[in-house]
Amino acid sequence: MDDLLADFVAETREMLEASEGEIIAWEADPADSARLDAIFRFVHTVKGNCGFFDFPRLANLSHEAENVLADVRAGRREADTALVSAVLAIVDRIMDMIDAIEAQGSCPDGDDEALVAALAEGAQAGSSGDTRSAEPDAIAPESTSETAPEITEDVTQGTAPIVQRTIRLPVDLLDRVMSGVSDMVLARNDLAHRLRQAGNQPTIDGPFERLTTILSDVRDAITRMRMQRIETLYNALPRLVRDLAEDLGKKVSIDLDGGDVELDREMIEMIRDPVTHIIRNAIDHGLETPEERLKKGKPETGVVAITARQSGNKISMVITDDGRGVDEQVIAAKALSMGLVTEADLAQMDREKILQLVFEPGFSTAASVSTISGRGVGLDVVRSNLERVGGSIKMTSTPGTGALFYLQIPLTLAIISGLTVAVGDQRFAIPQSYVEEVVDMGSSGIEFVTLGETSLITFRDQRTPCISLSDVLGIADKKDRKDAIFILVRLASGDLFALEVDAIHSISDLVVKPLPRSIMQSDLYGGSTLLDDGQPILVLDLPLIALNQGLVSETRSVAKRRNEAQQSEFEAASERVMLFTDFDGRRRAVRLELVQRIETAPAHAIDLSGASARAVIDGVILPLIGLPEGPLPTEKVRLLRLTDGLCELLYAVREIDDAAALTNPVKPVQSDPMTEGVTLIDGEAVSLIDGHEVFASYGEPPAQIDLPKCRLPDSDWARTILSPLVTSAGYEVVPSDSEGADQVLSIWFEDEYESAQALDLPITGPVIRLRDHPDAHQGCETIYRYDREALAEALRMARTSVSRNNKTSGEAA
Amino acid sequence: MNDLLVMAQIAGRRCALNAHDVKSVIELGGITPVPRSPDHIAGITALRSQALTVIDCRRALGLPSTEWSTDHRAAVVHVDGHPYALMVDAIEDIAVGQSGVGSVPGGFGPEWSRIAIGMVETAIGPALLIDLEALIGGRAGGHDTMGAAA
Repeated sequence: MDDLLADFVAETREMLEASEGEIIAWEADPADSARLDAIFRFVHTVKGNCGFFDFPRLANLSHEAENVLADVRAGRREADTALVSAVLAIVDRIMDMIDAIEAQGSCPDGDDEALVAALAEGAQAGSSGDTRSAEPDAIAPESTSETAPEITEDVTQGTAPIVQRTIRLPVDLLDRVMSGVSDMVLARNDLAHRLRQAGNQPTIDGPFERLTTILSDVRDAITRMRMQRIETLYNALPRLVRDLAEDLGKKVSIDLDGGDVELDREMIEMIRDPVTHIIRNAIDHGLETPEERLKKGKPETGVVAITARQSGNKISMVITDDGRGVDEQVIAAKALSMGLVTEADLAQMDREKILQLVFEPGFSTAASVSTISGRGVGLDVVRSNLERVGGSIKMTSTPGTGALFYLQIPLTLAIISGLTVAVGDQRFAIPQSYVEEVVDMGSSGIEFVTLGETSLITFRDQRTPCISLSDVLGIADKKDRKDAIFILVRLASGDLFALEVDAIHSISDLVVKPLPRSIMQSDLYGGSTLLDDGQPILVLDLPLIALNQGLVSETRSVAKRRNEAQQSEFEAASERVMLFTDFDGRRRAVRLELVQRIETAPAHAIDLSGASARAVIDGVILPLIGLPEGPLPTEKVRLLRLTDGLCELLYAVREIDDAAALTNPVKPVQSDPMTEGVTLIDGEAVSLIDGHEVFASYGEPPAQIDLPKCRLPDSDWARTILSPLVTSAGYEVVPSDSEGADQVLSIWFEDEYESAQALDLPITGPVIRLRDHPDAHQGCETIYRYDREALAEALRMARTSVSRNNKTSGEAA
Repeated sequence: MNDLLVMAQIAGRRCALNAHDVKSVIELGGITPVPRSPDHIAGITALRSQALTVIDCRRALGLPSTEWSTDHRAAVVHVDGHPYALMVDAIEDIAVGQSGVGSVPGGFGPEWSRIAIGMVETAIGPALLIDLEALIGGRAGGHDTMGAAA
């Protein structure tokens, strides 16, 4: 509601500013009724807006002024100086109240009778002279005695909401500022590059760092300027629901959640109509009449609920009603009678799929066309509107208990998460929302066939039409098909196809810029974007490409035999696991939450020399388990990159099978500590990896952030000979003069340690003392500096104490 | 006509662009080709955070671009709200138009007439004043070229 109020204040101010000139001109010449319009509009709008708020004083004042002005406009009354003064006094009073409303959020109490009386015809003669002069008195005491003290009081109590001054700006001005800032960031990057080339220059580096910080702050702020709470969309809904319910004789309450989710202003405008439409539909078709509801044992009042959540760079919005729901049989029959599908199609569609038919063009279930939602605008328009901005919509329903619409909306129009792919020498971007999965030709279970001019790939027993990006674009690809990578693209319509590319580069947030018409005419591209290195690349318009290749549902082909039981995201809370076959040929599974990514590592990235195997992935060394004894069985190894949020490790597998739901109970197994238990998946016994045990035994943080520190003596021997040993024992070597942290292990030469003690230097934390001679002196607290085993043991012992200390100090803090 | 003109060589001929339309002259860096786009679109290139559509002016005239060397400089213009970089043989100079726009009996040839507004006199000699929209629009509506390319 605060936003609405702020809008009201801003709008009223703006309007008054705009009509200020007219008011002054009218004051100079009251007979000039042409000036009236602006002032009439002003009081009229204020009156209208007051209806939304509980401001009886404002409503009353503007109503009175409007009446008088209406009389003047209609010629029932002559405008004279007294009347002009009286009206202007009211305008002034309105503005005073607006100020007070802005400061306090509520309308101050007070008496306006004098002002209203001045408007009356009888007041003309008698008080014409002193109305104007009386006004300041009328206002002044009020504003001092009521408004002003209230404000100060509030301020002292600290309860007054901080008044946020707002201004309105055209969106394209914001866009200009935003692109200016983007340019600045690029210029900064360029400068940073040159500075690095020129070497360290302390006099420049400092200010440059500051510039960088400021720039990133500014960029944040600019981005937020375009964001608005979804509340602005919600605000209009209660009214809409109330009116609709009244018209239809139903009882409806609306439940709004997640109003603080922010998204791009323009995006809010784009989804306003789709959301409104779905709500209309829900109330009109979904909810029953109160009598029906009572008969069914439901509460008399139906509930429409809207929930918005931000997940990554998407907003998920769920709109539910507890009405009669949607019967897929009805949908199917309707779609059949309208010729949208054939009997054969229906036979192969599961319930979920049939329900999505409501989004097909031309579909309408309403038995009778009502004024509310049967206006020829169907859900197909809702879907296409959402898809145009990169969103999607799905529907599910339980007959008798309600329907649920699931919308996914990108945060902004201009920034998308994109996958960069390469064909030949060229790179292109694909909006990531379309990418269902990426498979390479090398992985098993994938089969490529060419039928006539068409290609099909079979993946997971599913024949999927396949198009080659190089053919679509007319680029010569360099590679063999055996190295090809297929991107499984799921269009928002549900159609699936495979896009063959040569390579995949990266996933990043892309700022998409429009292209001129002459390029758009080729029907292949959605825009252009710049890569990190400043190279411009084209963003592919996959739905359009699919349409032109005849891959979209209107042209249903035989290839579109999909029998996969696709789990909807908002259904089935059952746990999911990743199935794979390990190098011993056993079928195993790991909980999907643990799987961060699937990696493929070449043999040279795997190091088997140490006690435990390790592999280098993305420049990080990670522990590797699951490999068989002996040399590597294949040239490339498929690896599951598992993470528990902090630690990561790699699990080598022979083959990755599929993701599956964990539906059957897990029977614990005692024999193998790495196995949590055995369960049945698709009728086969699968052993489930014990994530806890695996991470307890092998997990390591990928970056060396939390390593215990060790301070070494300041000598060449320590640097060249001791330091590698300490590092390999899992320490971070810090300079000998480094400050702080008493949890730092320090290694001292015996003689230096003694002199430090003699000088009463503070020696904190655990200490390892080294001696130069193999033979120990008495006391034996020292270690011979070439006694590797003893040294390693001491480091190990110290490590447990250092990390324990760290932990306790961390907990204490 | 005392407008400032940017003098450029296109396919070995002297042409003039209205300096008011030319936002800047840039050094062309890497050009990303746009597959299946009209022939005269050489690709897209980056100017700061903007992507410019590069128009090869020689090809816009239906001439091969390989016959003339280019100095890798391009004039940046905005048409219909989109930024373009015009790839020419060379950007020569800035000159002041010394005459009104005139025509020559017999015209300039069909391709040149399509993209030219007319002849304009300058201190360094006569030049063809270019019609930017016609130049960027491509030959015969672009559709035919695309059809031929596809």
